[in-house]
Amino acid sequence: MVLVTVRLPPQATLTQAMRRLGLSEEEVDTGYGLVLIDPGQGLYGLRVSEEAARRIDPEAGGGPYADPRIEPYGPPG
Amino acid sequence: MRVLIQLRPSPDVVAAVADPDVTTTTADVADRLPGVVLDPSYTPVAVPRPVPAAGGDPLSLNQALTFSLAADDASVMVRGEISDDELSTRLTLLPTLRNDVVGIYADPVIETNLTCGGDAPVGDWHDVERLVHAAELHAEGLDGSGVALAVLDTGINAAHVKHHLGRDLLLDRERSWSPDGVSGEPGEFPVNHGTMCAFDALIAAPRASLIDIPVLLSQRPGGSALDGLLSDAVAAFAHLRTVLEAQPAESRSLVITNSWGSFSPRWDFPVGHPGNYSDNPAHPFNLIISSLEQAGADVLFAAGNCGRDCKDRRCAYPDRPITGANSHPGVLSIGGVDTNGQRVGYSSQGPGRLTLRKPDVCSYTHFSGSKAFGDGEPDSGTSAACPVAAGLVAAVRTRWSSTALTPAQLRTLLRRTADDRSDIGFDYDYGYGVTDTSGILAALRRRAMRVA
Repeated sequence: MVLVTVRLPPQATLTQAMRRLGLSEEEVDTGYGLVLIDPGQGLYGLRVSEEAARRIDPEAGGGPYADPRIEPYGPPG
Repeated sequence: MRVLIQLRPSPDVVAAVADPDVTTTTADVADRLPGVVLDPSYTPVAVPRPVPAAGGDPLSLNQALTFSLAADDASVMVRGEISDDELSTRLTLLPTLRNDVVGIYADPVIETNLTCGGDAPVGDWHDVERLVHAAELHAEGLDGSGVALAVLDTGINAAHVKHHLGRDLLLDRERSWSPDGVSGEPGEFPVNHGTMCAFDALIAAPRASLIDIPVLLSQRPGGSALDGLLSDAVAAFAHLRTVLEAQPAESRSLVITNSWGSFSPRWDFPVGHPGNYSDNPAHPFNLIISSLEQAGADVLFAAGNCGRDCKDRRCAYPDRPITGANSHPGVLSIGGVDTNGQRVGYSSQGPGRLTLRKPDVCSYTHFSGSKAFGDGEPDSGTSAACPVAAGLVAAVRTRWSSTALTPAQLRTLLRRTADDRSDIGFDYDYGYGVTDTSGILAALRRRAMRVA
């Protein structure tokens, strides 16, 4: 899965985001939900399948963005 | 070329050099040597003669030997320089011109062995306590009281931290947060990397309120045991915004310590792709860091363990390994030094990928502390250096809210007061230097007087 972004009004919901991006529930990580990235810009993020991300209209949302693994920096080995 | 010259002067001169109560100079031993610029600052050293047992081979060092500093046996070493273009000639001629010259040897530059992963601890956490001037901080009322200190890692085991720290800790269960699917209560996670980070953060700020955020325990599809996905960190930072915004503006203080990163470009989109993370300030995680920092959070990231001398085997960026948020302009990127102030060999060097001048500063690591990895194992990696620095930041925040001193101003103060480890300011090994509590306190006192 990958990250995508969408601009929505304050207090937006995942359902609103899915509707805006034209996504179904199967294509979205609903456990992850809708995450507010920058309130000043009304920018939200969500996790979707790579296939769904490719389908998103650039006018509606941004991405896809990498969602790389992260690991602790220690102990060094 | 710098050289060491072994001489055999008269026995009385040898005796004087060998006598610790007598001060001798290079001029006493060798006033002039043709073609050699002698170093008068170097105190001559007596070199003992290897003596074989009776009947032994006088030319072999591969036998039982004793070593004699007797005036008739020993020789003397001085230091000097021979011009490179005359080297071969001088090496040949000098012993023929001066019969007291026994030998001429190279005097190469030597460097200390840097601490690497797997090495034994260098000092313990009480040394770190002393080096960060914890007592001085606490005497000024700067102990982290009232400051929220978020540890984004593998979760905290509060009982372990308390036991090894030998004092109580404050765990803020209410403001702690876990990614979806992570089971376990705040402060009750298995002892691991996050427990080490919590311990190390409390060295300078023992009264800070720990917010436990086990992002690296995420089981989200795409991750594996003891790692997470960047999207978990995005969600964690979104939670921390609610923590920050719930605080009164005039007393906001939230310090976030992050001892993790992304090791491989294979996990990322290619550089140049608009969705890339490592090099792209427009990636959602880099954006959320910017917005949270502007809202008043102090965000610290470990520089990473990809230093050229002994990099972590996971390091997969062939150069410029300080990637993404670890090199973000709104972040304090922390390199590691041991308790002797020497950069640990694995501490990543700049330039960073989002910001060239990384790491910002260094803090202490590779000391015996939390024992999270066993009794003889150090708190190591820039993973330990980052929370040590975060503790110092939290201590400062006790009386300096982010309204009184913005995160950007505090970063500048830490850089400006750092103990510079190079000749001319910033360098890619140490950044601006090692954090210097005395300098920070002096600058804060001056600022307090101006504000008053």
